[in-house]
Order: sequence, then structure tokens, then C-alpha cells
Amino acid sequence: MSVLASEWLKVRSVRSSYLTLGLSLAAILLGYGLAVMAKGMFDSAPPAQQAKARIAELEEVVVMVPQLCLGVLGVLAITSEHATGLIRTSLTVVPRRWPLLAAKTAVVGGLGLVVGPATVFGTYAVARWVLGDRFSGAYSVPFGARWPLLAALSLTVVVFALLGLGLGAILRSTAASIAILVGLVYVIPIVIGNLPEPWSERFGSVMIGALPREIAGDFPTDSVYGSLLPPVPAMVVLAAYAVVPVVTALWLIRRRDA
Amino acid sequence: MVRCAGRGPRRILDAVIELRRLTKRYGGALAVDDLSFTVEPGHVTGFLGPNGAGKSTSMRLVLGLDAPTSGVALVNGRRYASLRRPMREVGALLDAGAVHGGRSAYNHLLCLARTNGIGPLRVAEVLEQVGLSGVARKRVGTFSLGMKQRLGIAAALLGDPGVLMFDEPVNGLDPDGVRWIRDLMRTLAHEGRTVLLSSHLMSEMALTADRIVVIGRGRLIAEATVQELTARYPSLEDAYMALTAGSVQYGASR
Amino acid sequence: MRAALSSEWLKLRSLRSTYQALGTAGLTMVLGAAWTLYVSSLADERGSVRAAPPEVGFLPLLQISLAVLGVLAITSEYATGMIRTSVTVVPDRARLLLAKAVIVGLTTLAAAETIQLVTYATSRLIAGGHPLGFNDTSLGDDLPMLLASGLSVAALALVGLGLGTVARSTAGATGAVVALLFVLPGLVTYLPAPWNTRVASLLLPSLVPQIAGDRLSTRLGDGVLPPWAALAVLLAYPVAALVAGFLFLRRRDV
Repeated sequence: MSVLASEWLKVRSVRSSYLTLGLSLAAILLGYGLAVMAKGMFDSAPPAQQAKARIAELEEVVVMVPQLCLGVLGVLAITSEHATGLIRTSLTVVPRRWPLLAAKTAVVGGLGLVVGPATVFGTYAVARWVLGDRFSGAYSVPFGARWPLLAALSLTVVVFALLGLGLGAILRSTAASIAILVGLVYVIPIVIGNLPEPWSERFGSVMIGALPREIAGDFPTDSVYGSLLPPVPAMVVLAAYAVVPVVTALWLIRRRDA
Repeated sequence: MVRCAGRGPRRILDAVIELRRLTKRYGGALAVDDLSFTVEPGHVTGFLGPNGAGKSTSMRLVLGLDAPTSGVALVNGRRYASLRRPMREVGALLDAGAVHGGRSAYNHLLCLARTNGIGPLRVAEVLEQVGLSGVARKRVGTFSLGMKQRLGIAAALLGDPGVLMFDEPVNGLDPDGVRWIRDLMRTLAHEGRTVLLSSHLMSEMALTADRIVVIGRGRLIAEATVQELTARYPSLEDAYMALTAGSVQYGASR
Repeated sequence: MRAALSSEWLKLRSLRSTYQALGTAGLTMVLGAAWTLYVSSLADERGSVRAAPPEVGFLPLLQISLAVLGVLAITSEYATGMIRTSVTVVPDRARLLLAKAVIVGLTTLAAAETIQLVTYATSRLIAGGHPLGFNDTSLGDDLPMLLASGLSVAALALVGLGLGTVARSTAGATGAVVALLFVLPGLVTYLPAPWNTRVASLLLPSLVPQIAGDRLSTRLGDGVLPPWAALAVLLAYPVAALVAGFLFLRRRDV
């Protein structure tokens, strides 16, 4: 418990945490801007076009910001200790080692659990307020029909945070960890999108970007990813993105020299 | 410009560090406050003061790492930043840790040497001089604090400069190393160079320095020879304690 | 300047991370060959396929790995404190940053063009006469795209160097580069038409197709910039980032 308190203080006492968390929440403003812009376009369009006009779910766009920010926060939570040598002090005061990483997991995951829903549901609320029943009522469907997707999107933020932490703990290098995080999330989907079918859809279905919609069972017509997984397996895959790197890191931290 | 590249004795005799009404403010905190003093060639000048007195900041200002809020710091009558080949005029060790741990000692020094047109032979020479030849190809990240201090001293000596500044060079050195530093400082000064040396080890300073500059809270407290101070007080340590009694910011009250 | 350049060149060569970044970028060649082998066998099965050319499909891998190289060229100095030593031996900070930019720019340009050309050549050799959709054009047609994509990698590495100088943090600068390269273009796609295409035309990933006279994507259609303007924008990115970096480096204490 005291390890947890110490890790919480570590996160609270560095500027990079406030920067990444602030940027994440600022993404709601971005959602607001996009919504206002869409509203302006819609209101100035002739009725015939209004009837056909569609809008993408803004939360799905905006969530990319907290995803990247919390991913970086997760990476830094451990690599900054390696860069400064603080890790040797940390491991000296927590000699069993795994509680240190477990406490980091709890703190970083907990922040994701707060920031993810705040950004996603915040953007949803703002967009709903701005857009009303425009775009064929995209934002006036009952909340009950939308929350599974929103909740799944929120969870991806937690997954990014833990994935970042796990990669950071395994690689012990800020640059390498962020590069691999980015590779996993942005570069590989581009490469997979170029694969011939059926591989493009098969691999595309297990990309993080595809999972929220598969978990919610809510598919747009033009998904750039795949949509092959039913909700429960999709949930398992999403969890695996966080659990596999963190467990690997827990295993490694006990065996490696600091 | 051409003269800088040469190593004539005249340059060494000219060599001085001069601070004129130097002031540095970080936000609201005054780190150096209207500080003026001169360091002359041919002596080891000890630079003393409690933690946080502004010794390192003064050295950073002389090297142009930080910009002074007001006042000037000159080396050989010029601002450090205007020197074309600064390593040939000034050598400094401020922070032995300011090294990329992934490079070998040899490559680290060669990176520095190349910026000032200094060849690899000189790199090998200073490595030999500081006793790191055997580990020249090892990554600096694996070095102990004492070895890093020696590497930092090697970097300061690379350009065979007339002016040398060392901030706490004996930190982390073994007794052999401490004596080696003492002899090195005295030799450098004997050769006519200007040597500014900060340290908290008073007994060591009494053996090494000829002149002493004491500062506290960023201000000059005393400028004297070691002889003058030891004539007036029982020892250099007593002199230091008496002079800085009102200036200790962080230390325990005594 | 030559002295600073040779030092920066040694700095880059003497770090393991440089080889790791280059190695990751070089994976493009292996993946490109594997990709072509795979789609060729697929073409044997199905008669013909429409596959993406490997030098285009794997370009993001090249971009991100060499952008990290650019970021690390400066942020590793801040992380280790080496920057203070570097500024001490090269007090002219413009010269220091310019030397870094020249070395990072030339190294990444040479690496990226080589990797792109090798990937192109091996994939076309492996593809032979298979109808893969990407191997029916001549080298003359594809050359603008190949050269522009290599140039975009070097530009991105310099953007990384500039942002790294501003942010002084590996994480911050890498995050910013990723935002420029992936997140921002992703967000812009969702702007209402025609603003999505207009804004996207100015973003880094869209500049290479516009220089080569291709469309941006099925969703965005043709870009708004003629090739020469796209080239100018591509060059403006590193210039802006480096100028910003210099303004910060000049004014800040290190």
C-alpha cells in the first residue's frame, strides 16, 4: 500500500504527467471544435444534402489523443527512472521488485481509467449538445444504445497506458518504447491495410483500432479495420494487449540486474 | 585568431578569469549577486562557499552555459562564447556526469577534440595522463564516479589550455586520486596557467591552493591568499567557518 | 564548421542507438522482399492481384525509425547532460545545431534513398512478370515517388531534431513527431469536406504523393498542391522546426 502511495506521488510530482493528462482532456475541446464545424456545414447545406449528410463518431477520432498521451505517460512512468538512475533507488527501497511494477500498473491504469472515460464521454456529451438531432439524429439516439461503444473506447485508453508501461519496463528506453508503441498502433495497421484479402480483414480484426466496435457489436459500413471478432473474444484480445506486456515485464524485472 | 591556435607562453601569462558585477537570477531566486573578482595566472585559486552559494553558477556563467542577468564574465579579456577554439584557451570540468553513457571514453573525448581541431594523438595522450588508457574503449556508462572525474579532467586538458576551471574534481576519487589531483593542479599552476578550483575539502584546499575566493549567497565574502587567512585564523577551515557563518543557507546551524 | 561536422559525425557513429534505428529502417528491405514473394505466390494462385508496392507500404516504418534517430541526436544529449559539454566546446550554438542538422539530414537522406531504391529494385526483380498491380510501371515513372519518399524521411528526421531541441525530451519530441505523422492526418480525415482534403494536403504524409502527382487516398481524392508547392511545404517543415529549435537553444540556459 505504501508502494502505491509512493508511485502515486512520483506521478503527481513530475511535469510530464500534467502535460499528458492536460493534453488528453484538451481533446474534448478538439471534439467541440469538430462538432461546431460540422454543425456549421450542416446548417448551411440545402435540405436535400442535409438529409444525406452523415457524421463519423467524433469520440472515435478524439480518443486518439488520450491514447497517445497515456501511452507516453505509461512509458515514462518507468523509462524516466531508468534514464535518471532512480530505478536503482526504487529497487533498493522495494527489494522484492514486482510490487514496484504492480503499483505503477495500478497508478497508470487508474489514471487511464479516469482520463479515458472523461475524454470519451465528455466528447460525446459536448457533441450531443452541439449537434442535437442533426445528421439524421446520429447524436440523438438514446444513450443506452451508445454507451457500449463509448465504454469500449474508454478502455482502449487504459490499454494504451498499460501497454506503454509494459513496453517501457521491457525495453528500458523511452525512444524505443514509444517507437514500438507507435509502430504497433499506427504503422502496422497501415501495412495490414495493404495486405490482400482475406489477410487484411483477419489481421485488421485484432488491431486495437478495430476492437471497440467489435466489443460493442456496432459496425460502420466503411471500417478500415476488420470486424470478424465477436464481443467476448474481442474483449480478450484487447485485454491481452495490456496484460501480455505487463506480465512479461513483471517476469523480467525479477530476473534482470537493475 | 591565429594566436589562439599557438601555444606560446605569452598567452598563458595573459590568461585570467574576470567577473565584473556578475548577477544571475533564476525566476525569483538570486543565484549570483553583483559578483566581481579576478583569477590570476600562476596560482591555484580555491573557490569556496557553502552549498548553493553560487560557485557552480558562476562557473556556468563564465562558460556561457547560462546567460547572466547583468554584468559580464571574461576569459582572457573576451567573452567565452566569442572564442573560436575555446578548448585551446579554457578547459573546464563542471559535472563529470555530463557524458553520454553509451559512448566509449575514447570516442567521447574524440567527439570533443574534433570540434576544436584537436587530433586523436592528443586524445590518447590525455587518456594516458589521467590513467584511463586501459579502459579507453569501455562505455562511459560502466565507469565509477572517480573514473568519470578523471574523464572530465581529461576533457578539460585536451586543448592544453591556459585557463582551467574545476568544480569539485576530487569527488569520488580514491586517496591516490586526491593526491594526483593536488599534484596536477599545482603543476598546471606552476606552468603559468590560471587554475580555479572549487572544493569543500578544506584540508585538501589548504594543501593545494595559493589564493582563496570565498562567496556566500551569491556575493563575494573574501579574497585573500591562503597565508593571509592561516595567519589570522588557526586553520583554513576555521577561516572558512568564520567567514561564511552568516551565509549558510541550507546547512545545519552551528 | 568542418570541425563541428566531423565531431557530430563521430557522435552519431559512436552510439548503438544509431545502428538500432538504421537497422529498424533497413527491415523495410527484408519485409519488402518477403511481401513481394508472398503476393507473387498469391498471384500464381489467383491469376492476378492488386497489391501495394512495398516501398510505399513500408514507408511509415522507415519514417518513424529515422525520425527517432533525429530526435535522439539532440534529446540524448539533454538526457545525459552531454549538451552542457557540447555547448562548452562549441559555444556558437547556431553552429552546433547546424552541424547536427547537416549530419542528421545527410545520413537519413542517404539511408532512406538507399533503402527505398534497394526495396524497389529487389521487389521488382522478385516480382518479375507476375501481375501484382505495382510492377507494370517503369523506373522513370516511379522515380519521383521514390526520391520524394526518401526526402520525406530526411525531412521528418530534421523535424524530429528541431522538435527535440525545443522539447529537450525524447518522449515529448517523439510524441510530437507521431502526432504530425499519424494522429493529425487521422483527425483531419474527419473534417467535413472539402476541408479534410485541403488541410490534409498540407500534412506530411500527403506531400510525397502530391510531389509525385498521385492522389492522396481514395477517401481524400486529389491534393490541392502542385508538385513544386508540395516540395516547398515538405522543405518548410524541417526549416520551421529547426528555426524554432534554434530560437529556444539560443535563449535558454543549458
